[in-house]
Amino acid sequence: MPATERDPFILDRPTGRRLRARDAIVCVFFAAVLLLLVEGSSIRSSGQKMDAGVERTVVLAVGNPAGWIADRLPLADAADRVTAFLSPDDKLTGAGGFDSAPVAGPAATGAGAGAPITRDSFDATDLGAKPTRLPELKTLLVTGDSLAQPLDVQLARRVAGDGVRTVRDAHLGTGISKSDIVDWGLLSTQQVKQRTPDAVVMFMGANEGFPFPGAGGRQVECCGPEWAVVYATRARRMMQTYRRRGAARVYWLTLPLPRDAPRQKIARAVNAAIAVAAQPFRSQVRVLDMADVFTPDGRYRAAMAVGGRETIVRRPDGIHLNDAGANIATGIVLGRLRADFESLG
Amino acid sequence: MVFPTVQFAVFFPIVLALSWALMRRQSIWKPFVLAASYLFYSVASPTFCILLAGVTLGNQAAAQAIHRSDDARLRKRIVAAAVTADLLALGVFKYYGFFATEVNGALDGVGLGLPLPLAAIALPVGISFIVFQAISYTVDVYRGLLPPAKTIDVGLYLSFFPHLVAGPIVRAREFIPQLQSPRDPRKVAVGAGVALIVIGLVKKVAVADFLAREIVDPVFGVPQAYAAPDVLLASYAYAVQIFCDFSGYTDIAIGLALLMGFVFPQNFDRPYRAASFGEFWRRWHMTLSRFLRDFLYIPLGGNRKGKLKTVRNLMITMVLGGLWHGAAWGFVLWGTIHGVALVVEHQFRGRVRLPRWLAWLLVFHIVVLAWIPFRAPDLGLAGDYVSRLAHWGPATLWSVPVVLVTFLVIALQLAPARPLDALRVRFERLHPAALGASMATVIMFVAATVSSQGVPPFIYFSF
Repeated sequence: MPATERDPFILDRPTGRRLRARDAIVCVFFAAVLLLLVEGSSIRSSGQKMDAGVERTVVLAVGNPAGWIADRLPLADAADRVTAFLSPDDKLTGAGGFDSAPVAGPAATGAGAGAPITRDSFDATDLGAKPTRLPELKTLLVTGDSLAQPLDVQLARRVAGDGVRTVRDAHLGTGISKSDIVDWGLLSTQQVKQRTPDAVVMFMGANEGFPFPGAGGRQVECCGPEWAVVYATRARRMMQTYRRRGAARVYWLTLPLPRDAPRQKIARAVNAAIAVAAQPFRSQVRVLDMADVFTPDGRYRAAMAVGGRETIVRRPDGIHLNDAGANIATGIVLGRLRADFESLG
Repeated sequence: MVFPTVQFAVFFPIVLALSWALMRRQSIWKPFVLAASYLFYSVASPTFCILLAGVTLGNQAAAQAIHRSDDARLRKRIVAAAVTADLLALGVFKYYGFFATEVNGALDGVGLGLPLPLAAIALPVGISFIVFQAISYTVDVYRGLLPPAKTIDVGLYLSFFPHLVAGPIVRAREFIPQLQSPRDPRKVAVGAGVALIVIGLVKKVAVADFLAREIVDPVFGVPQAYAAPDVLLASYAYAVQIFCDFSGYTDIAIGLALLMGFVFPQNFDRPYRAASFGEFWRRWHMTLSRFLRDFLYIPLGGNRKGKLKTVRNLMITMVLGGLWHGAAWGFVLWGTIHGVALVVEHQFRGRVRLPRWLAWLLVFHIVVLAWIPFRAPDLGLAGDYVSRLAHWGPATLWSVPVVLVTFLVIALQLAPARPLDALRVRFERLHPAALGASMATVIMFVAATVSSQGVPPFIYFSF
C-alpha cells in the first residue's frame, strides 16, 4: 500500500467563510419550509405509502399539514410542470384501474353462481389432454413487488439464449391491497399495452394485508373471507388483462409462507385468493405453488435440501427468496413455460 | 435511515436545531446526539443497535484495561483479544454464510459429509465501518496515540449518524478530540456544508441512480442479452455510478457533519484522473486506504523488508481490502487485480516511463475492468460479461443522457480543479437564506428524477 504524502491526521479545513450556528439552522429550515410549500403533498403521500409505525406517524405529522397547505397553493403544480421532464416514471392514466368501472367478462361478474363456466376454466392437463401450446415466446414480462427479484433476473438469464426478450418490471413496496402507491389494475393494463407480453410471471405479496375500501365508506380489514373476495377480484382483473384474451400465458406464484406469524396469516389469505381468482382462466393462468415447495405443511424453513445439500433459500428477513431460492422458483416457472411454448420446448 | 429520504428530511433539521441549542451543555448534548444516532440506526433494525452498543462497550473496556496496565505483554494480549473480538463479530455477521457454503462445498467435493450449520444471518448495516473504527480506537490507545476517552465519547464516535453506516472511516484521534469542547457556534462552515450536501445529492440521485436504472443494472443483470456496445458503455457507466454513489454519500456525510460543527477527513479526490495505481489509492476511498496501510500493510512490514516481502504485503493488503467489501469471490478478484497492478507498478518504478496520457489510459481501463467482478453477481456472470465484449451487435441502451452523463463525470475528473473550486467557493459565500433556497431548488429537481421505487440504498451500505 503506497504511503500517502500528506499527514492524514491533519484534517482539511473546510473552505468558505465561517458563519454562525444560527445561520446553519436558518439555512436548513429555510430549505425545509420551501420544500414543505412545494412538495408538501409528496411528503404526505410518502407517509401514506409507509408501513404502519412510528416513522409513518412522524412523517404524516409533518406531511398532512404540509400537504394541506401545498394543496391550496399553486407552487406544487408549477414545480411539477417545471420538473416533469426529469421523471423516469410513466404516468399511470386511462382505464383499468381498480377504482374504475370493472371491465367486461368473467372478471367483472366474479365467481358467483351466475358466472359463466367456459372452456377457459379448464387446464387441459387436468383433463388428461395435451395442452394447447403457443408457437413462440418473444416477450416475457416478469413483474410483481420485491418478491419478483431476483427471480426476474434469473429467468432473464435462463431464457436469453432462446431469443426471448425479458422485461423486468418489479415495483418495490407495492401491493394489490396498497393501491395508493401503484394501482396494479392500471399498471397491468399499461404493461400489456406497452409490452404485449406473450407470457407474464407475477410474484407479489410482500406488502399485502392493507384494508380495502368497502361499501358505505367502511374498511374491509385483512384477512377474512370478505378481504379475500376483494383481493381475488382485483387479482382476477389483472389475470384477465395479462392473459390477453387467451393470446398470452400467466404464471402467478403463490407466496412461500413468511417467518412471522402475522405475515403468515396474510400470506394464507393471499394464496387462497389467488387460487380462486385463477379459476375462470385455468387454461391460460397457471398458479405455481411456492408455498408447498418452500414451506411444506405450512411450516417456515430458511434452508432446504437442494441437490442433496442443505442450502439456505430465504433471505434473513424471513419473507423473500434468496438467490438459491429464486433459482428453484425459476426452474419451476421455466418448466411450465417450456410446456406452454413450442419455441422453448 | 437513508440520507435522501423524507424521513431524514424530517429528522435532520430537528436534530440540528436541538444539537446547537444544547451544544453548550455537553452533559445533555452528548446523550442527545447519542440517542439521535441510535434512533437513526434503529430504523434499519432495532436489534442492530445491540451489536453497536456491544462493540462500543467491548472496545471501551479493552481500552481502559490497556491504559491501566503497565505490563507490556498483558497490554498486547488485551489489544489482540479486542481486535479478534471485533473481527469475529465482522466474521460472524458478514462472512459466516460465505465461509460455511464454501467449506461445505469443498468437503462435499471430496466426499466428506461434515457440513457446517447454515444460518440466514442478517448483515447489520455499516458493520465493516463500525468495526474498523472500533479497532482504530483500541489500537490508537494501545499505541499511546490517544488516551482512553469517556464511554459516552466512544459511543458518540462509533455511532455519530453522519458517518455511521458508510463512512468515511474517521479515526478515533480525529474525532474524539473534537468532543473535548463544545463546537464553536460562531465558526460553522455553513456554505461548505451545504455545497457538499447539494453536490452529494446530485451525484447519488441524479447521476448514480440514473445510470444504474438506465444501463448498469440491466446489463450486469443479464449480460447475455446485450452485445459489445452496451456492455462497454455499462462498464464505464458502472465506474461512474460507484464513484458518484459512494463519493456522493461521503459528500453528504461530511456536509452534515460540518453543519453540526464537526470536520471529517476527505474520502475522494477525483480518483479517475490517476495515472498510477498508487495514485488511484491516494484518491479513492482514502480513509480505507490509510486504514489498511496503518493497520495491515505497515504492521506486516510494508516495503522495508525486501522486494519479496513487499510483494507479499501488497497482495495480502489488497486481497483483504477486497474481501472487506463483502463475502464473495468477485471482491477477492477485484482486490487481487489491484494488488497485482500495484506490485507490477512497484517493480517497474523508475525503469519504465510512460507518457502521462498513456499511463492514465492504461490505469483507467484496468480500474474499469476490475469493477466488472466487483459488480457482477458472481464470477461466472463476470466471465459472461467480459465474453460479451467480443459479441458485436446493436447498441440498444445508448441514449444521449446516458452517454453524456457517463463521459461528463469522467471528463470533470480530468479537467483542472481550479475553475470548479472557484465556482464552489462563490456558492459557499451566498447568504444563508440563498443557500437554503438553492438547496431546496436542487432537492426539488433531484427528487423529480426519483422513480416510484424510491431512492435505492447506497452501494456501500451493504459493505
